[in-house]
Amino acid sequence: MTPDTALSDRELMVSRLIEGPRDVVFEAFTEVQHLSRWWGPKGFTTTTRTFEFSEGGVWEFTMHGPDGSDYPNWIQWMEIRAPEVIVLRHGEGPDDPDQFSSTFFFEERTDGSRVILRSEFKTKELRDRAAQEYGAIEGGNQTLDSLATYVTGRLE
Amino acid sequence: MARARTTADAFNAIAEPHRREILTFLKGRERVVSDIADAMGMNQPAVSKHLRVLREVGLVYVHPEGKQRRYGLDARGLEPVHGWTGGFEEYWSESLERLNTYVRKRQREEER
Repeated sequence: MTPDTALSDRELMVSRLIEGPRDVVFEAFTEVQHLSRWWGPKGFTTTTRTFEFSEGGVWEFTMHGPDGSDYPNWIQWMEIRAPEVIVLRHGEGPDDPDQFSSTFFFEERTDGSRVILRSEFKTKELRDRAAQEYGAIEGGNQTLDSLATYVTGRLE
Repeated sequence: MARARTTADAFNAIAEPHRREILTFLKGRERVVSDIADAMGMNQPAVSKHLRVLREVGLVYVHPEGKQRRYGLDARGLEPVHGWTGGFEEYWSESLERLNTYVRKRQREEER
Protein backbone atom coordinates (compact mmCIF):
# COMPACT_ATOMS: atom_id res chain seq x y z
CA MET A 1 0.00 0.00 0.00
CA THR A 2 1.12 3.55 -0.70
CA PRO A 3 -0.41 6.79 0.59
CA ASP A 4 -2.00 7.27 -2.82
CA THR A 5 -3.87 3.97 -3.13
CA ALA A 6 -7.62 4.64 -3.29
CA LEU A 7 -9.34 4.41 0.09
CA SER A 8 -11.62 1.44 0.60
CA ASP A 9 -14.81 1.72 2.65
CA ARG A 10 -12.99 0.05 5.54
CA GLU A 11 -10.32 2.74 5.77
CA LEU A 12 -9.84 6.19 7.24
CA MET A 13 -7.05 8.60 6.45
CA VAL A 14 -5.64 11.82 7.86
CA SER A 15 -2.50 13.71 7.00
CA ARG A 16 -0.67 16.73 8.28
CA LEU A 17 2.44 18.71 7.49
CA ILE A 18 4.82 18.73 10.44
CA GLU A 19 7.28 21.60 10.50
CA GLY A 20 10.50 19.66 11.00
CA PRO A 21 12.89 17.29 9.24
CA ARG A 22 11.73 13.75 8.68
CA ASP A 23 14.26 12.08 11.01
CA VAL A 24 13.11 14.26 13.92
CA VAL A 25 9.45 13.53 13.16
CA PHE A 26 10.11 9.82 12.83
CA GLU A 27 12.07 9.81 16.07
CA ALA A 28 9.02 11.20 17.87
CA PHE A 29 7.34 7.83 17.17
CA THR A 30 10.13 5.66 18.51
CA GLU A 31 10.42 6.34 22.24
CA VAL A 32 7.94 6.72 25.08
CA GLN A 33 9.58 9.93 26.26
CA HIS A 34 8.61 11.44 22.87
CA LEU A 35 5.28 9.68 22.33
CA SER A 36 3.97 10.61 25.75
CA ARG A 37 4.45 14.27 24.86
CA TRP A 38 2.08 14.30 21.91
CA TRP A 39 0.07 11.05 21.45
CA GLY A 40 -3.65 11.62 21.92
CA PRO A 41 -6.03 14.56 21.61
CA LYS A 42 -5.61 17.78 23.52
CA GLY A 43 -5.84 17.29 27.28
CA PHE A 44 -5.03 13.57 27.18
CA THR A 45 -2.10 11.97 29.01
CA THR A 46 -0.68 8.45 28.82
CA THR A 47 0.72 5.97 31.32
CA THR A 48 2.93 3.29 29.77
CA ARG A 49 3.23 -0.24 31.18
CA THR A 50 5.27 -1.90 28.41
CA PHE A 51 7.22 -0.44 25.54
CA GLU A 52 9.49 -2.04 23.00
CA PHE A 53 9.91 -0.33 19.67
CA SER A 54 10.73 -3.21 17.32
CA GLU A 55 8.83 -5.33 14.82
CA GLY A 56 6.66 -7.60 16.97
CA GLY A 57 7.27 -5.36 19.99
CA VAL A 58 4.38 -3.99 22.04
CA TRP A 59 3.36 -0.71 23.59
CA GLU A 60 0.80 -1.15 26.37
CA PHE A 61 -0.56 2.02 27.85
CA THR A 62 -3.57 3.76 29.35
CA MET A 63 -4.87 7.01 28.00
CA HIS A 64 -6.38 9.39 30.53
CA GLY A 65 -9.06 11.70 29.22
CA PRO A 66 -9.49 15.25 30.50
CA ASP A 67 -12.70 14.16 32.27
CA GLY A 68 -10.87 11.40 34.21
CA SER A 69 -11.94 8.51 31.96
CA ASP A 70 -9.31 5.85 31.25
CA TYR A 71 -8.90 4.08 27.92
CA PRO A 72 -6.78 0.92 27.67
CA ASN A 73 -4.55 0.82 24.60
CA TRP A 74 -2.44 -1.91 23.07
CA ILE A 75 -0.20 -1.42 20.07
CA GLN A 76 2.03 -3.91 18.29
CA TRP A 77 4.50 -2.80 15.64
CA MET A 78 4.22 -4.98 12.57
CA GLU A 79 6.69 -3.25 10.28
CA ILE A 80 9.26 -0.51 10.86
CA ARG A 81 11.12 1.08 7.97
CA ALA A 82 12.96 4.10 9.35
CA PRO A 83 12.36 6.88 8.53
CA GLU A 84 9.58 6.15 6.01
CA VAL A 85 6.92 3.77 7.27
CA ILE A 86 5.50 2.37 10.50
CA VAL A 87 2.75 -0.28 10.43
CA LEU A 88 1.03 -1.22 13.66
CA ARG A 89 -1.93 -3.06 15.09
CA HIS A 90 -4.02 -1.09 17.54
CA GLY A 91 -6.68 -2.21 19.99
CA GLU A 92 -7.62 -2.28 23.65
CA GLY A 93 -5.56 -5.44 24.23
CA PRO A 94 -3.90 -8.37 22.43
CA ASP A 95 -7.23 -10.23 22.23
CA ASP A 96 -9.40 -7.29 21.20
CA PRO A 97 -11.50 -8.60 18.28
CA ASP A 98 -11.89 -5.05 16.95
CA GLN A 99 -8.17 -4.42 16.48
CA PHE A 100 -7.32 -2.43 13.40
CA SER A 101 -4.21 -1.79 11.39
CA SER A 102 -2.61 1.63 10.99
CA THR A 103 0.13 2.70 8.61
CA PHE A 104 2.06 5.91 9.11
CA PHE A 105 3.90 7.26 6.08
CA PHE A 106 6.59 9.92 6.50
CA GLU A 107 7.37 12.00 3.44
CA GLU A 108 10.03 14.68 3.06
CA ARG A 109 8.82 18.03 1.81
CA THR A 110 10.62 21.31 1.21
CA ASP A 111 8.71 22.94 4.07
CA GLY A 112 8.76 20.02 6.51
CA SER A 113 7.53 16.44 6.59
CA ARG A 114 4.12 15.10 5.72
CA VAL A 115 2.73 12.44 8.04
CA ILE A 116 -0.02 10.37 6.46
CA LEU A 117 -2.00 7.93 8.54
CA ARG A 118 -4.19 5.27 6.99
CA SER A 119 -6.17 2.99 9.27
CA GLU A 120 -7.87 -0.14 8.03
CA PHE A 121 -10.69 -1.75 9.98
CA LYS A 122 -12.07 -5.27 9.77
CA THR A 123 -15.51 -4.18 8.60
CA LYS A 124 -17.18 -1.10 7.22
CA GLU A 125 -19.28 -0.95 10.42
CA LEU A 126 -16.16 -0.75 12.59
CA ARG A 127 -14.76 1.90 10.28
CA ASP A 128 -17.95 3.96 10.55
CA ARG A 129 -17.96 3.65 14.31
CA ALA A 130 -14.35 4.80 14.53
CA ALA A 131 -15.10 7.74 12.27
CA GLN A 132 -17.64 8.90 14.79
CA GLU A 133 -16.35 8.00 18.17
CA TYR A 134 -12.76 6.74 18.10
CA GLY A 135 -10.66 8.06 20.94
CA ALA A 136 -12.27 10.85 22.80
CA ILE A 137 -15.53 9.16 23.67
CA GLU A 138 -16.10 11.08 26.82
CA GLY A 139 -19.31 10.04 28.53
CA GLY A 140 -22.20 12.28 27.61
CA ASN A 141 -22.14 14.28 30.78
CA GLN A 142 -18.78 16.03 30.54
CA THR A 143 -17.46 19.15 28.84
CA LEU A 144 -20.76 20.69 28.02
CA ASP A 145 -19.21 24.07 28.58
CA SER A 146 -16.29 23.57 26.26
CA LEU A 147 -18.64 21.93 23.79
CA ALA A 148 -20.82 25.01 23.80
CA THR A 149 -17.81 27.24 23.31
CA TYR A 150 -16.64 25.06 20.47
CA VAL A 151 -20.00 25.03 18.74
CA THR A 152 -20.44 28.78 19.22
CA GLY A 153 -17.06 29.35 17.65
CA ARG A 154 -18.11 27.29 14.66
CA LEU A 155 -21.39 29.07 14.19
CA GLU A 156 -20.30 32.65 14.65
CA MET B 1 -31.34 28.98 1.87
CA ALA B 2 -34.12 27.91 4.19
CA ARG B 3 -33.11 27.56 7.80
CA ALA B 4 -33.30 24.13 9.38
CA ARG B 5 -35.99 23.71 12.02
CA THR B 6 -34.59 24.15 15.51
CA THR B 7 -36.02 20.76 16.43
CA ALA B 8 -34.39 19.01 13.47
CA ASP B 9 -31.49 17.71 15.57
CA ALA B 10 -29.24 18.44 18.54
CA PHE B 11 -26.96 20.67 16.46
CA ASN B 12 -29.77 23.02 15.53
CA ALA B 13 -31.15 22.96 19.04
CA ILE B 14 -27.86 24.03 20.64
CA ALA B 15 -27.13 26.67 18.03
CA GLU B 16 -29.20 29.06 20.16
CA PRO B 17 -27.13 30.57 23.03
CA HIS B 18 -29.95 30.60 25.60
CA ARG B 19 -30.57 26.92 25.06
CA ARG B 20 -26.89 26.17 25.63
CA GLU B 21 -27.05 28.19 28.83
CA ILE B 22 -30.07 26.21 29.95
CA LEU B 23 -28.28 22.91 29.27
CA THR B 24 -25.26 24.05 31.24
CA PHE B 25 -27.54 25.13 34.07
CA LEU B 26 -29.24 21.71 34.13
CA LYS B 27 -25.93 19.88 34.31
CA GLY B 28 -25.93 17.62 37.35
CA ARG B 29 -29.26 18.81 38.72
CA GLU B 30 -32.97 18.85 37.87
CA ARG B 31 -34.71 22.24 37.97
CA VAL B 32 -38.19 23.66 37.69
CA VAL B 33 -39.04 26.27 35.06
CA SER B 34 -39.08 29.16 37.53
CA ASP B 35 -35.53 28.33 38.71
CA ILE B 36 -34.32 28.34 35.15
CA ALA B 37 -36.13 31.58 34.34
CA ASP B 38 -34.62 33.28 37.42
CA ALA B 39 -31.12 32.07 36.67
CA MET B 40 -31.28 33.11 33.01
CA GLY B 41 -33.12 36.37 33.61
CA MET B 42 -35.81 35.27 31.17
CA ASN B 43 -39.58 35.01 31.46
CA GLN B 44 -41.16 31.60 32.00
CA PRO B 45 -42.95 31.30 28.64
CA ALA B 46 -39.66 31.90 26.83
CA VAL B 47 -37.94 29.26 28.96
CA SER B 48 -40.79 26.82 28.34
CA LYS B 49 -40.41 27.32 24.63
CA HIS B 50 -36.70 26.54 24.77
CA LEU B 51 -37.34 23.50 26.96
CA ARG B 52 -39.84 22.19 24.43
CA VAL B 53 -37.21 22.38 21.68
CA LEU B 54 -34.62 20.70 23.88
CA ARG B 55 -37.05 17.93 24.78
CA GLU B 56 -37.95 17.28 21.17
CA VAL B 57 -34.32 16.57 20.27
CA GLY B 58 -33.81 14.47 23.41
CA LEU B 59 -31.45 16.81 25.26
CA VAL B 60 -33.77 17.40 28.18
CA TYR B 61 -36.18 15.10 30.02
CA VAL B 62 -39.06 16.04 32.24
CA HIS B 63 -39.68 14.45 35.61
CA PRO B 64 -43.15 15.18 37.03
CA GLU B 65 -43.08 15.41 40.79
CA GLY B 66 -46.44 16.19 42.36
CA LYS B 67 -47.57 19.48 40.86
CA GLN B 68 -44.08 20.33 39.73
CA ARG B 69 -42.33 19.40 36.53
CA ARG B 70 -38.60 19.11 36.98
CA TYR B 71 -36.32 19.31 33.97
CA GLY B 72 -32.98 17.55 33.65
CA LEU B 73 -30.17 17.20 31.13
CA ASP B 74 -30.23 14.04 29.05
CA ALA B 75 -26.65 13.92 27.90
CA ARG B 76 -27.31 10.99 25.58
CA GLY B 77 -28.88 13.53 23.26
CA LEU B 78 -25.42 15.00 22.81
CA GLU B 79 -24.00 11.81 21.35
CA PRO B 80 -24.23 13.03 17.77
CA VAL B 81 -22.38 16.17 18.77
CA HIS B 82 -19.71 14.20 20.60
CA GLY B 83 -19.42 11.93 17.63
CA TRP B 84 -18.85 14.88 15.41
CA THR B 85 -16.21 16.40 17.66
CA GLY B 86 -14.59 13.18 18.87
CA GLY B 87 -14.13 10.98 15.83
CA PHE B 88 -11.03 9.58 14.19
CA GLU B 89 -10.24 12.70 12.25
CA GLU B 90 -10.53 14.98 15.26
CA TYR B 91 -8.47 12.60 17.36
CA TRP B 92 -5.63 12.52 14.88
CA SER B 93 -5.76 16.18 13.89
CA GLU B 94 -5.27 17.03 17.53
CA SER B 95 -2.53 14.44 18.05
CA LEU B 96 -0.63 15.58 14.96
CA GLU B 97 -1.06 19.19 15.99
CA ARG B 98 0.62 18.30 19.28
CA LEU B 99 3.32 16.38 17.38
CA ASN B 100 4.00 19.49 15.32
CA THR B 101 4.32 21.62 18.44
CA TYR B 102 6.65 19.05 20.00
CA VAL B 103 8.88 18.73 16.93
CA ARG B 104 9.17 22.50 16.67
CA LYS B 105 10.06 22.78 20.34
CA ARG B 106 12.77 20.15 20.05
CA GLN B 107 14.32 21.94 17.10
CA ARG B 108 14.35 25.24 18.96
CA GLU B 109 16.10 23.51 21.86
CA GLU B 110 18.71 22.06 19.52
CA GLU B 111 19.40 25.45 17.98
CA ARG B 112 20.26 26.91 21.36
